[in-house]
Amino acid sequence: MAITQAIIADTEESPTPSRASAFAWVRAIRSPGALIGMVIVGIFCVLAIIGPLIAPYDPSAVSAGGLRGPSADHWLGTTQTGQDILSQLLYGAQISMSVGLASAVVATLLSVIVGLTAGYLGGIGDEALSLLANVFLVLPTLPLTVILAAYLPKTGSLGIILVIAVTNWAWGARVLRAQTLSLRKRDFVEAARATGERTGGIILRDIFPNQIAVIAASFLGTVTLAILIQASLAFLGLTSVTEWSWGTILYWAQVSSALLVGAWWWFVPAGLAIALLGTGLSLVNFGIDEFINPRLRQAGLGTRRARRAAARRARMTRTGWRRRPRTAQRSTPVVDTILEIRDMRVEYVGQHDRTRAVDGVSLTLHRGEVLGIAGESGSGKSTLAYAITRLHKPPAEITGELIYTDAGGATTDVLKMSEDELRDFRWDELSIVFQSAMHALNPILPIGEQIDDVLRAHRPGMSKRDRDARIAELLGLVGIQKDRVRAYPHELSGGMRQRAMIAIGLALDPEVIVMDEPTTALDVVIQRQIVEQIMELKDRLGFAVIFITHDLSLLIELSDTIAVMYAGRVVEIAAAQDFYREPKHPYSAGLLGSFPTLSGPRRELTGIPGAPPDLRRLPTGCAFHPRCPLAFDACPKVDPVLVQITDPGQRAPREAACLLHGGVEAHADGLAEATR
Amino acid sequence: MKILLRRGIFYLITAWAAISLNFLLPRIMPGSPIDALIAKFRGRLSPQAIEAFRVLFGQKDTSLWQQYVDYWHSILTGQFGISYAYYPSPVTEVLGNSIGWTLVLISICTILGFLVGTGLGMLVGWKRGTWLDALIPVTNFISSIPYFWFAMVIVFVFAITLRWFPLSGGYSITTEIGFNADFLGSAVYYAILPAFTIVATAIGGWLIGMRNMMVTTLAEDFVRMAEAKGLPRRRVMFTYAARNAILPSFSGFAMSLGFVVGGSIVTEIVFNYPGIGSVLFKAAQAQDYPLMQALFLFITLAVLVANVLADIAYVFLDPRTREN
Repeated sequence: MAITQAIIADTEESPTPSRASAFAWVRAIRSPGALIGMVIVGIFCVLAIIGPLIAPYDPSAVSAGGLRGPSADHWLGTTQTGQDILSQLLYGAQISMSVGLASAVVATLLSVIVGLTAGYLGGIGDEALSLLANVFLVLPTLPLTVILAAYLPKTGSLGIILVIAVTNWAWGARVLRAQTLSLRKRDFVEAARATGERTGGIILRDIFPNQIAVIAASFLGTVTLAILIQASLAFLGLTSVTEWSWGTILYWAQVSSALLVGAWWWFVPAGLAIALLGTGLSLVNFGIDEFINPRLRQAGLGTRRARRAAARRARMTRTGWRRRPRTAQRSTPVVDTILEIRDMRVEYVGQHDRTRAVDGVSLTLHRGEVLGIAGESGSGKSTLAYAITRLHKPPAEITGELIYTDAGGATTDVLKMSEDELRDFRWDELSIVFQSAMHALNPILPIGEQIDDVLRAHRPGMSKRDRDARIAELLGLVGIQKDRVRAYPHELSGGMRQRAMIAIGLALDPEVIVMDEPTTALDVVIQRQIVEQIMELKDRLGFAVIFITHDLSLLIELSDTIAVMYAGRVVEIAAAQDFYREPKHPYSAGLLGSFPTLSGPRRELTGIPGAPPDLRRLPTGCAFHPRCPLAFDACPKVDPVLVQITDPGQRAPREAACLLHGGVEAHADGLAEATR
Repeated sequence: MKILLRRGIFYLITAWAAISLNFLLPRIMPGSPIDALIAKFRGRLSPQAIEAFRVLFGQKDTSLWQQYVDYWHSILTGQFGISYAYYPSPVTEVLGNSIGWTLVLISICTILGFLVGTGLGMLVGWKRGTWLDALIPVTNFISSIPYFWFAMVIVFVFAITLRWFPLSGGYSITTEIGFNADFLGSAVYYAILPAFTIVATAIGGWLIGMRNMMVTTLAEDFVRMAEAKGLPRRRVMFTYAARNAILPSFSGFAMSLGFVVGGSIVTEIVFNYPGIGSVLFKAAQAQDYPLMQALFLFITLAVLVANVLADIAYVFLDPRTREN
């Protein structure tokens, strides 16, 4: 459940953590790997506690039977002086693990104090503490630990614990500082500060709970590290050699040449114990990592089935699609329709359930047309854009048909294309301009290079000189000077980056360009310039556009047809002018009332009450009814379908999915389906 | 380039901190190491040698500042005193004999381990959700193994049981040290087991780090865009996903050099390799403070130099750092 939620949030917009979810990470530990890890760690803990009680011998007791292999009397054999290795191992667990644990506690305490303080203070305090942490990070731990340990009188574990803690706090402090820095800018901390809460209170109540997952990960990492370092120090003979720990066993094995006499039973168990315990700890840690970073979780178990299904489909199907011959470019098309979406569904497959983000969408795009798709965030419009470009990854599953008609009139179902066919089809016929050019451009490649690789992949015959000329031409089309070819994305302004994206989108002269909120991140003036440029290019080059945005007023200006989406469905579709004059669906009317128009008469801004619905728990009947000002008694019971509406004076046929139109009987199909 | 300057200043501060720490430790730690040392030599030391020790480890009759100035003078002129464990060799001579071995072995193995681990991590991340994910717990296990213990197992299997490789040392004693085929051949032959140990244990950490970064990067818009562009799979994997995923992995590489070098040094002990690891072991056994101090300083400075190189390489990898 949580998995699906995170993925949907990821494709639409990033989730905002709330106070309530602060401890949700505890649930994440239930993954199978983490469970196995916890079992391993648990067993070791029990052994460490009861070890001395169940040990068959005194670990230091010398006996006559030296250097014997495993036997019934000595399960793990004996040392040169006849000491029982199993007993040493059991006693050793106590020292090794308590030193590891105690060092990690002290180190974590240090890193929490330094990290949180530095991150929260900022300014000079932050600079100084960060510098200190970085210095400790760069210093080689082991030689430093060796030196420190060597100066200490060999009193025992306490000194070792302090030494390990002092040399290993820096990494955790660094991570925590970065986390705190990003967290303190979040809304709820700002809110706490605005209400006048004291600094200490904010750190404890608001920042700290969010950090616990990070702290836990760094703590477990330090335990592993501390056990390894303690073993190294003991192996070097820098701890008290008569105090049994796993490292001490290895020290005695090494100085007594256990290797040379072939006494493998002497050194194998101790090292194995360290490695096993370390594995257990890192498995638990991996579970926490997956929680902190939801993208890692997506790659986990739940997606496997969907991935296999996708692979099967990719192998089996072949649609026979051929790249259009370059000469036949846009020579009087036989058919007007270029792209037809038929009953498209996108579902996120969870371990126990499926969440439908796009639900039975059918749309038709004509040549040279601008089809606008509008809706609030979470309405499924971006999910639809990724479906049209087949960019969804498991656990998302696409069903339905996506029929592409080429200039010659031949049709192909894009969803059935094989991997190779799809690769040829992409960009050549259909390209996409992403929401944020900042994220969609490869930060380490100059923009010229990012056009060049498209040309190289799709036009293998093109010479370097021709490609360079084409790149210059494309950049010229969008108003970027030729000398910026070698510029990296970060060297361009926001508007320039978006223009560069459009230039890349035009590289192969595609028939269709999907534009997913291409201007949302820009200021109004730049928005305007870019939209005008897109329209001008469209008129000149004749491509069709699917334009996705929440900005309905913008859409009305530039679209031929507008489709409005709500909860994964198209709820209204109409010619832009008809739509503007009179939206038929109450949701469309609400959306239209939420934005000022750039031109045209003034109207009152109203907005829509309530929030977009949770796709996993949609209301019965019409999904919009809880927010609808016009809802009546049938709305919660009947699931409306798109019905034709005819009005005097309308420019084109239009449809809306609302019980107000066509009478409740027209939606009778929806009655049976109401419990979808 | 500004970033390189800032990093340069940071490394100078770190070097200063390490050297000063070296000065402070014997003076603030309980007990007087130098008295213990002099007592152990039982009058075999010349007055000059004792004087040199006092400069390095503290003398009660001068001010702390004067001691600090004298200490810096000794460091800069390379006077680290006499080694106790290798008496009567001066510390610098002991270091000189062992540094080369360690530098060659560890620098090659660290880079190799990084390349192999990152390469595998890239593949496992790219093919996430397939059987390759099973490598994760395996690498978790391998990276939790203490280096030196893995070395013991390797020696036991390949040197003692199978007798494929020599047991210990850095070269065959029948060859003469120098730039000749015999010696180089035997040095390579002797280095195979230690090298394998270091590379094998280092791979795990890089693999998991790179795999996780790869998975994170694959969800970025620019990778989606590369796919939408219909680029060949290799291009998407290398130039779009891996090239970006490697950046954090690479700065992690610089950060963890200190740890990796430390772990590798301890493996030398098991192989009785003639590098500074074995020297460190002997120094620790004999409480040879002058040698330990010099080793710490040397290892720290070597790690700092490696960090500087890694930073310069990073500037070439990430155009965003080249901004002025």
